[in-house]
Amino acid sequence: MSMVASEPVDATRTPARAVRPAGPRKHRIPVLATGVFAGMTLALVALAVVSAGSGQLVIPPDQVAGAFARAWNDAVSAAGLGALSVPDGAAMTHVNGEATLWLIRMPRLIMAVLVGATLATAGVVMQGVFRNPLAEPGVIGISSGAAVGASAAIVFGLTFAGPLTLPLLAFVGGLAATVIVYSSARADGRTEVVTLVLTGIAVNAVGGAAIALFTYLGSTQEREQIVFWQLGSLNGTRWQDLAIVAPLALVGVVACFFFAGSLDLLALGERQAEHLGVRVERLRVAAIVVIALLTCAAVAFVGIIGFVGLVVPHLMRMILGPAHRLLLPACALGGSVLLLAADLVARTAVPGSELPIGMLTALIGGPFFFWLLRRTRRRSGGWG
Amino acid sequence: MGPRMSRAVSALAVALAATLMLSSCDAAALAGGADAAATPPLSEVTPLSDPAAWEGPSTAVAAQAAVDPITDGEQVLPATVVDAQGTEVSIADTSRILTLDIYGSLSRIVFELGLGDSVVARDTSSGFVEAAGLPVVTENGHDLNAEAILDAAPTVILTDTSLGPWDTILQMRDAGIPVVVVDSHRSLENIGDLVQQVAGALGVPERGRALAARTTAEVDAKIAEIAAVAPSDPAEKLRMMFLYVRGQSGVYYLFGEESGADSLIEALGGIDVAGEIGWQGMRPVTDEALVDANPDLLIMMTKGLESVGGVDGLVEHLPAVAQTDAGRHRRIVDMSDTTVLSFGPAAASVLDALAVAVYAPEAAG
Repeated sequence: MSMVASEPVDATRTPARAVRPAGPRKHRIPVLATGVFAGMTLALVALAVVSAGSGQLVIPPDQVAGAFARAWNDAVSAAGLGALSVPDGAAMTHVNGEATLWLIRMPRLIMAVLVGATLATAGVVMQGVFRNPLAEPGVIGISSGAAVGASAAIVFGLTFAGPLTLPLLAFVGGLAATVIVYSSARADGRTEVVTLVLTGIAVNAVGGAAIALFTYLGSTQEREQIVFWQLGSLNGTRWQDLAIVAPLALVGVVACFFFAGSLDLLALGERQAEHLGVRVERLRVAAIVVIALLTCAAVAFVGIIGFVGLVVPHLMRMILGPAHRLLLPACALGGSVLLLAADLVARTAVPGSELPIGMLTALIGGPFFFWLLRRTRRRSGGWG
Repeated sequence: MGPRMSRAVSALAVALAATLMLSSCDAAALAGGADAAATPPLSEVTPLSDPAAWEGPSTAVAAQAAVDPITDGEQVLPATVVDAQGTEVSIADTSRILTLDIYGSLSRIVFELGLGDSVVARDTSSGFVEAAGLPVVTENGHDLNAEAILDAAPTVILTDTSLGPWDTILQMRDAGIPVVVVDSHRSLENIGDLVQQVAGALGVPERGRALAARTTAEVDAKIAEIAAVAPSDPAEKLRMMFLYVRGQSGVYYLFGEESGADSLIEALGGIDVAGEIGWQGMRPVTDEALVDANPDLLIMMTKGLESVGGVDGLVEHLPAVAQTDAGRHRRIVDMSDTTVLSFGPAAASVLDALAVAVYAPEAAG
């Protein structure tokens, strides 16, 4: 399957397919795509079921099923459709079983799905709009920009926008970092890989310095909050947090789907895209704002989780090819699967303890990235 | 999936396994504790005539005083209190109590209030004999685990803000468990206040008053006893500093005012050097500030001292320490990490052991 696309972000080789996905290879693509989407959906559902049933507090599978049946019954009877109700199933034996399932695990599970989708979508759009395979919120410093905003909110105890203050400042920080990277790494309508990486290093360094300063200024408790935030963790996710993240994530991901066609054309080159009717400058500005929105939605409550935006888009591109119409939803789904799996490992691998999820994704992402670099160098002499 | 891919996957598996092993080793190392012999009481030792002239380190081990519960006074439930954060909390059921704080003092207070049988789990700092058998709900020492807490099924949670993430505490409130937040500040002065906050929340204010009075009286008596052996001339008083050191990476914090170390040093009849230079809270200190402050004696946590390789390692890794009188005379007093700043009902025995280590180091060993 790795022959479908020999190079990441290489739509130039198959422009016809980029514009009209259902071109001459009408039969193969839909079959493959259907298979991939079905497989990932199945994986997502399976992981969700396993996640709901595993954790420190043991709830046997039949009781999890029973709890879901009861919730379903409540929902249908509230909607006046009592006829749709199912048998109640096994009752919870643990006094806090229901609370654990509905207040601890479900918000966390949904948060993993949302954040995974958000990070992967932000990654794929960023790679498209920068026309650069290395673009990823963590690598080029957008996450650390958002972290600066968040730490400022923590240390100065800012609450001018109520519970939205931290996500808002994370958004401002992320947006500032994106604008800086974008404006300084671009030359002649495209971004050189080396320039982008070096700009990322600079932005990350400044962000790191600002975070270090806030850590120094903060009290012990604020310091711990910042460290917790930097390591990345879904621990402590509440429904209130989801109420803020979910709209941002949904709006952002759906907005990205509207970029799909334009991003395909942009892959041909800026001038070509311009000739084909894409308003490149407007696309760029819109994409950057949406990327910052997505990144901040992802990091505001769970902290910095790296490499999801890099691994998932590259993997999906290898399987499905570079056309964004398929790539975007595939990445959103793939990101959810990856993060849900990573979180399941993070909270169950070591009994009584929790691994930082950012460490896990970096552990998967680092070697993958290394392999990607070597593979590209072998095939096409590397990124210039 | 080609052979290259599978190679990458197996490499990843190896890396993952190695990481998991590492983290479980850490957990095992944390769990192990040393059971050293207790320091003899101050009343049985002969203090030095010139404590400033003594050379060499000493270790203070507080005597494991058995819990002496106060049971006079009926429990009245439901109890409604306004906690330290201004939240009004109503407690109807204290049959399953959970206390969470980084110092371990709250659980000790509950035991001393005669409600020890209702405590269902503990934090890692509550190491006293009566609580040692309870399950631990704090992962990695001071991270709260929501599922572990719910698994213990407490009917009331007492905590301060020293353990996090705070969201976990909020989740407990979401789950309908009353959470009482008490003062997170610990010092010799507010033990009585802390005891009464806990007692009020558990519906035993009368026992709280008795325990607060008993503890305060014990501490005051101990301070007077120490004052009798400590030099009274300000020029002869030992200049002390509480230094927090972790590992050999040069992380060292000076504990100043508001950290609790200040009241400890004053109770020991010493001069709080950090207070002299206006040091607030717990902050990293520079080499030059340390040399300039020139303490006669350093108080440290036992595990912290071990992590730099004992007194030899400390002087070697922190050359600034060697440039102070404390370093030159190797005058380092160490005490268990979970005890030294715990300021609970057992504070008098902590002071006693520290006083012996400071003024009769030979007896303390």
